[in-house]
Amino acid sequence: MRKIVASSLKIASILFSVAIFSTHAMAADLTLSVRGSDGKPVADAVVTVYPGGQPTKGPIKFDWPYRVAQQNIQFNPFVLIVPAGAEVSFPNLDKVRHHVYSFSAGNRFELKLYGREENRVVRMPAVGVAAIGCNIHDQMVGFIKVVDTQYAAKTDASGKAVIRGAPDGPVVVKVWHPYLRAPRNEKTVPLAALRGAVSQDVSIELRAPAAMSH
Amino acid sequence: MFHRLQTRLTVLYAGLFALALGAIAVTVYLTIAATAQQAVRQELAATGGVFDRVWALRTQRLRDGADLLSRDFGFRAAVATRDAPTITSALANLRGRMGLDLAVMMNVDGELTGVDPSKLDAERLWTALDAEDGAGGVFMVGGEPYQLISAPILSPTLTGWVVFGVRLDDREMRALERLSAIRLDADVFSRETARDGEQWRAQDADRQTPALTAFVAQALKGDGAPGRVQGPAGDELVLAKPLKALGGGASALVLRYPLALALAPYRLLLAAVALAGLVGAALVIAASWMLSRGLARPIAELDAAAQELEQGREVQVAVQTRDEIGRLAESFNRMADGIRDREARITHLAMHDAETGLANRHALETEIAARMAADPSQPVIIGALGLDRFTFVRGAIGYALATELIVEIGERVRSHNPDVMVGRLTTSTLCVVSSFTDLDEAVAVVTSATPILEAPVRLGGDLVDIHVSNGLAAGRQGESDPHRLIEQAMIALDQARDAGRKAAAFDETAYGDPASNLSLMSEMLEAVRTGALFLNHQPKLDLRTGAITGSEALVRWIHPARGFLGPDLFVGMAEETGHIRALTDYVIDQAIADQQVLRAAGHDLLMSVNISGRLIDDLGFARQAIERVAQAGARMCFEITETAVVGNAAVALQVLEQFAAAGIAVSIDDYGSGLSSLAYLKQIRADELKIDKAFVMGMDREAKDALLVKSTVDLAHSLGLKVVAEGVESREALAMLQVMGCDIAQGYHIARPMGLPALTEFLAAWGAEEEAADPLAKKA
Repeated sequence: MRKIVASSLKIASILFSVAIFSTHAMAADLTLSVRGSDGKPVADAVVTVYPGGQPTKGPIKFDWPYRVAQQNIQFNPFVLIVPAGAEVSFPNLDKVRHHVYSFSAGNRFELKLYGREENRVVRMPAVGVAAIGCNIHDQMVGFIKVVDTQYAAKTDASGKAVIRGAPDGPVVVKVWHPYLRAPRNEKTVPLAALRGAVSQDVSIELRAPAAMSH
Repeated sequence: MFHRLQTRLTVLYAGLFALALGAIAVTVYLTIAATAQQAVRQELAATGGVFDRVWALRTQRLRDGADLLSRDFGFRAAVATRDAPTITSALANLRGRMGLDLAVMMNVDGELTGVDPSKLDAERLWTALDAEDGAGGVFMVGGEPYQLISAPILSPTLTGWVVFGVRLDDREMRALERLSAIRLDADVFSRETARDGEQWRAQDADRQTPALTAFVAQALKGDGAPGRVQGPAGDELVLAKPLKALGGGASALVLRYPLALALAPYRLLLAAVALAGLVGAALVIAASWMLSRGLARPIAELDAAAQELEQGREVQVAVQTRDEIGRLAESFNRMADGIRDREARITHLAMHDAETGLANRHALETEIAARMAADPSQPVIIGALGLDRFTFVRGAIGYALATELIVEIGERVRSHNPDVMVGRLTTSTLCVVSSFTDLDEAVAVVTSATPILEAPVRLGGDLVDIHVSNGLAAGRQGESDPHRLIEQAMIALDQARDAGRKAAAFDETAYGDPASNLSLMSEMLEAVRTGALFLNHQPKLDLRTGAITGSEALVRWIHPARGFLGPDLFVGMAEETGHIRALTDYVIDQAIADQQVLRAAGHDLLMSVNISGRLIDDLGFARQAIERVAQAGARMCFEITETAVVGNAAVALQVLEQFAAAGIAVSIDDYGSGLSSLAYLKQIRADELKIDKAFVMGMDREAKDALLVKSTVDLAHSLGLKVVAEGVESREALAMLQVMGCDIAQGYHIARPMGLPALTEFLAAWGAEEEAADPLAKKA
């Protein structure tokens, strides 16, 4: 059932993309390959592209569910990209209870002890990052990147992220990672403009995640 | 350095003991010190370990508290929302609950909450916290070291750090000191950057020394082993443990322990060792003092005894032990006895006559000197007692009995007067040192006692008659001396014998002065040069021809002070003093010279010269005399006495032969007086015989003398000798001699001895008369 929904969403997004492509005949794919300073591919890095340096006007829709599940005492996914104002659900798939919270400015919330089958939804009003944790399980850390651009993606295990359909022309491309050693954990990619399919390698420096257990 | 054996031995033994004891004491001390140091080192190491544990525990406690706070949901919410009042109150709350000195929150932007930011270096702290998860260590807050522990605040991302701190102040250090089993001093040292480079400083400046800070700096570079350092409390053992510093810099915990304290438990032992040493040293000194005194005292006694012995005192050393020193003392005593005996023997020999055992001359002189010194106002009177004809008596009874005789006489003198001292002066002379003070009285007493002394002595079963003579002399201290007194007594003895008396006192005037006699001799030699000595000549008449054919040279001396001196006086003296040769040489030379003068005047006389018996066996004299006579071509006759030949007959006869060979006539002088030997008369190679004037002068009164002269003339003639008669003083005597057949006459009746000018005149006158008349008739 979920699969059907996911594939239908995928199809929808493809269709949507086609629509975009149709409006911007000159659109192409931007492939960013993010690596750490040690040369290893970095997963879960969020790449955002701002054509002309501007946020996307109008509603933004991504083709992945706005959902952060609690499964095996972990947040899944670790990083979730949602547009501002999106409603994110926090299903508890574990047998234990969780107490999910975020102290992030603009996106503060607290989901007090709730159990399995209890689905909670939180709206993310502010562009930025909501660092989420569980007050019961310190090791549970997750991030919701709230963006204001249509062109956003996160790197997979091989460190690659593909931004499709961004129009040619001047752009501002940024990479964010929760442990990126930079102000607001964000770095601007030195790529001034897009023209056709572009592949870009980005190197970032990561700091060690603050461990909760010593 | 030490002149006494005792001191030397004592110092040696005491010194050796002190050395040994010192070595033991040093060893004990070093061992104890090493043990104590080792104990303290171990204790320091143990305390270091305890400290590590305490540090870890406290670190854990702080960390737990920090973790607790950093994970508190409300606190995290307050941090996330920058709710400063809530944060401050939460920090204060926990600080109070945990008894912390410091509770701070630092957010990721480096902003501090809960402390005055000026008190610490926020940037350094942020760097340190950011560099290490849960960083902790020593950090300076307000100039004081704090132990800080941090815990990250995760919500869930890192939003800041909770930092808890405990001040490492005195209280903390004292608490740590109390944990140790020994009384340690604990301090935190920090490395600070000063003008002159990096420097270690103690929190309390009173608790550091340059040596200590240097040691700390060194120890933290090295293995951190404990070391000995001159610390604030003196000589200390120090352990420096590095403390983890937060954000650079360095700190160290310095644990100190004074060595004096480490040694304190052993002080009693050391004191006991020292006390035992002192007591032992005192015992050794006392024992070695006593031992060495036992050794040295007998040696000192021997030394003193040897000095006494040296000074001639009799001494014996008490023998106290049977060891070497005891045997040495015995040997010393034996030696002292031997010396004493030998000395006594030597002294006896020195003071006694070996033959008779009577006191000898030396002893007598000593006794006389002692008596003189005892009373200088009174004279000491001694007597020389001579046995008359002793050689004869000795020849009769033998030497041994003669010695007994002397002893017996001595005994008689002593038994007659026990106050006297009797000694032996010569073989036949005893000396009696009397206690008389009046010389005349003494002479009288001795004279009266002589018959007792002369009582016959029974020797070897026979009675021996003895005769003695005594010479006495007196002398006072200062006027005489023992030697001279004895000499005078001996002379007095001679004088007594000459006078035929049994006892006589020394007659100084009769004796004359030997010293003046000696000077007379030197004056005589002088007189030869000055002409004070000269020759007189007495002519000799040839009874057959009536001519003066010879003369006898007689020496005469006119002394410038004493006037005319007869030859009897100075010739005898010249013989005694050895000047006769010079005198005779003079006479011969002068006679030769006078003969030549007479020859020049036409008178050829045979010159007769008297040759002393002392010179008749002198070959040197004979050779020279012959040379002179021959050289001058003189006609000489040497007159000698027969007795002179007897002394050394062989040489004398040889000399006379030489005279005869040289043409010098020899006349036998004074024949008939003294001991005349027909045996020698036969042997003497003589030309003439001079009859002694004693016979000739009495010839006209005594028929016996005339008979002797007549028989002597005949004897001489029968032996082929001419005969000369001396002492012809009358015409009758001259006539008788002529009748007897005597060849030559000499005497006052013919002519007295006269000088050369007078002789020349006499000869001239005689020659003239002879030609005019018969001389004999003229004389008659």
